[in-house]
Amino acid sequence: MSIKDKVPVTILTGFLGSGKTTLLNRILSEEHGKRIAVIENEYGEVGIDQGLVINADEEVFEMSNGCICCTVRGDLIRVLGNLMKRRDKFDYVLVETTGLADPGPVAQTFFMDEEISSEFTLDGIVTLVDAAHIDQQLGRSDESSEQVAFADVLVLNKTDLVSDDALDTLESRLRDMNRMTRIIRAENAKVPIETVLNLSAFDLDQILKRRPTFLEPEYPFEWTGVYDLDAGKYELILEEGPDPEMSLVALVNQGESEEELKDGAESSVRLYAEKANTLEPGNTIPYGEHINLKLEDKGNKSFILNAEKPTKIGLFTQHTAEEFNMKVIKSIENKEIPFNTERFWQAEHEHDDEVGSIAIERFGDVDPEKLNTWMGRLLSEKGVDIFRTKGFISYSGNPRRIVFQGVHMLFTAQPDKEWGNESRRNQLVFIGRNLNEKEMQEGFDKCLI
Amino acid sequence: MPDIEPFSPRGMFHDGWTAEVNDYAIACGWALKGKQFIVGDVAGGLFAFEGDTGKIIWEKENTHSGGLLAMAIHPEGEIFATSGQDGYVQICNCHEGKVIKTLDLGKGWVEHLKWSNDGLFLAIASSKKVYVFNEIGEEKWISEDHPSTVSAITWSNKNELATACYGRVTFFDIVNNKTNQKLEWQGSLVSMELSPDGDIVACGSQDNSVHFWRRSTGMDAEMTGYPGKPSHLSFDDSGKLLATSGSERITVWSFVGNGPEGTMPGELCHHTEPISSLAFSNKGMLVASGSRDGSVVASFLKKDGNGDPVGAAFAGDLVGAISWRPDDCALAAVNAKGVVNVWEFKVRTNLFSKGFK
Repeated sequence: MSIKDKVPVTILTGFLGSGKTTLLNRILSEEHGKRIAVIENEYGEVGIDQGLVINADEEVFEMSNGCICCTVRGDLIRVLGNLMKRRDKFDYVLVETTGLADPGPVAQTFFMDEEISSEFTLDGIVTLVDAAHIDQQLGRSDESSEQVAFADVLVLNKTDLVSDDALDTLESRLRDMNRMTRIIRAENAKVPIETVLNLSAFDLDQILKRRPTFLEPEYPFEWTGVYDLDAGKYELILEEGPDPEMSLVALVNQGESEEELKDGAESSVRLYAEKANTLEPGNTIPYGEHINLKLEDKGNKSFILNAEKPTKIGLFTQHTAEEFNMKVIKSIENKEIPFNTERFWQAEHEHDDEVGSIAIERFGDVDPEKLNTWMGRLLSEKGVDIFRTKGFISYSGNPRRIVFQGVHMLFTAQPDKEWGNESRRNQLVFIGRNLNEKEMQEGFDKCLI
Repeated sequence: MPDIEPFSPRGMFHDGWTAEVNDYAIACGWALKGKQFIVGDVAGGLFAFEGDTGKIIWEKENTHSGGLLAMAIHPEGEIFATSGQDGYVQICNCHEGKVIKTLDLGKGWVEHLKWSNDGLFLAIASSKKVYVFNEIGEEKWISEDHPSTVSAITWSNKNELATACYGRVTFFDIVNNKTNQKLEWQGSLVSMELSPDGDIVACGSQDNSVHFWRRSTGMDAEMTGYPGKPSHLSFDDSGKLLATSGSERITVWSFVGNGPEGTMPGELCHHTEPISSLAFSNKGMLVASGSRDGSVVASFLKKDGNGDPVGAAFAGDLVGAISWRPDDCALAAVNAKGVVNVWEFKVRTNLFSKGFK
């Protein structure tokens, strides 16, 4: 049976109160042409008439060998084993776990049990997060950080109950923990269905076609402010701050919606990749260029901003405005123009959570044997703490890219498209608990040729 | 070899009859001493056919809302029981299919049914509990909650019931409400068979192994190396051979001598896809196997567990269940498309014209 004939399964996790049942009801009631069978572990308020709903107690079965990757969910095996005989009745399965469920055994069930894996394919893991409470939950329970770590999609729900600043901070905390995941903000679990179903998250080939990298961008800037400016001359004034220089990109016509901010951020990321032009105080800041402000002098430093016509200017700055008490002043009136919107970005910084992501990106080829040995040892020693692994590798002598993924110690690798003219590189992402980034990077570097 | 009679070149499987039920056929069995063949489909349809001709005698739809999960025909063959996702068990008469008694066991799926050999008791497993009723549907015994959903039940003697679940097999004296024995093993037991004398307990495990215990000595052993989980097990009537699924091969462990510990099992490689049903004949060392690829094979085994095929047929699709007629002169297979195949099963000799001795 090819993957196309297999029934896709989405796992829905999240703490009690995160909005799983609301999302489930939304999915079931929406017109999407799918006949969905639901396996529920929590007695929720799903309307039975809306589809095939089966209640089952969570039964986590560990094996005598003590191997964590062999741990499966017995209830799912039983229920799915029966469901597969009713394939005319449904074409999609949703598994809703309890708030305390460990997603590992749920995911492993679809790889470890041959009868299940021959009929079903794990499409993705969707974790709902209650924006108002997740901060506390992450501190208190391993389960909630594991649910974040396993997620292919994180729905940051109940955003209406939390300030934008707090959301930005939260998003960057979650992103730290899981850099592979896609984060979607939602009120009342209102998300487009296509962002949670049919993700093919375990079909790396597909994913890489849609998104050439597993990693969500880590931004080279920490802050964006959008200023609504009339035509005229303005000054950007910075006081003494933590750094004798600061990188910046200024964009014209910068929108203020989340989407527009992200678009702006993407453009800025590309501009930041170019070499910066250094600007002395008193110089005019060009738009759409990576520049580096010289801030060595004592006291206030001033740079010129010109608006030829009324526009919204987006400043994407390496540090936050606060750190330099940065202000925009309209020159003639000597009046401060406050920003309309600000947005903080994930930047490289200390990781507070035990659960985190480690990314390794290297150009060049690896020696397959060395990599196997290293990976084998890593997973056997740290497999319990490594929740998800994804990546692609360039094997020396192999014209095709090798894509791989894992859940704990379970690991699959397969050849993907040919490299062609693309420069050969490797990207590995590990999500886990207490992983030693330096050690892992050094380990991988030894596999490079 | 004067005993040999000419027979069809198709081998031991001779034309019998075919029929169709409405959905994926998951259970089947012979009633009224082989005069009737009953088939249950996953949607809850029940169908009774004349054993010789395949003519429909009665049929019923939607006997269990949500679907049928198990069916067991009483050893005398006059009544049978069914259970389903609706939490009900129905005891019906075979002649007309009429419901004699309905038992309401609550919310959980009722997944396993087993009549005791003397037919006095019906054991029922639903979620973590096991119930015993008598023939007329009176409750005789209920177990405490097991640590997990009960995955298999079987009678070890007339008053003793064995249950399997995650981590253990338990033997209950259901008349005196006593636990006779607990056999523990950290693993998810997915199937269980007892040798006819009740001494050997064999369980297929989720970790792709077969675990067995000898009750008399307390010795246990684990047979590993299966590519898949051995969901189907069958002992021959002498208790010497245990046939197991778990891949496209049938692996047969021989308990002759000091085996099977330290011995190589017999392996029968007749199918191209994993075994989906397995049944020894009522008498003799003849094992029938059905596969996901739709093939049905009967193999004659030697004491060491090896053997040769003596007949094969194609049943059309994944074989959901397989059943020997009580006299072993016919073999039935039902498949995932709802097709019922019954073959006359003939032997080569005049002397043993009624199945293998």
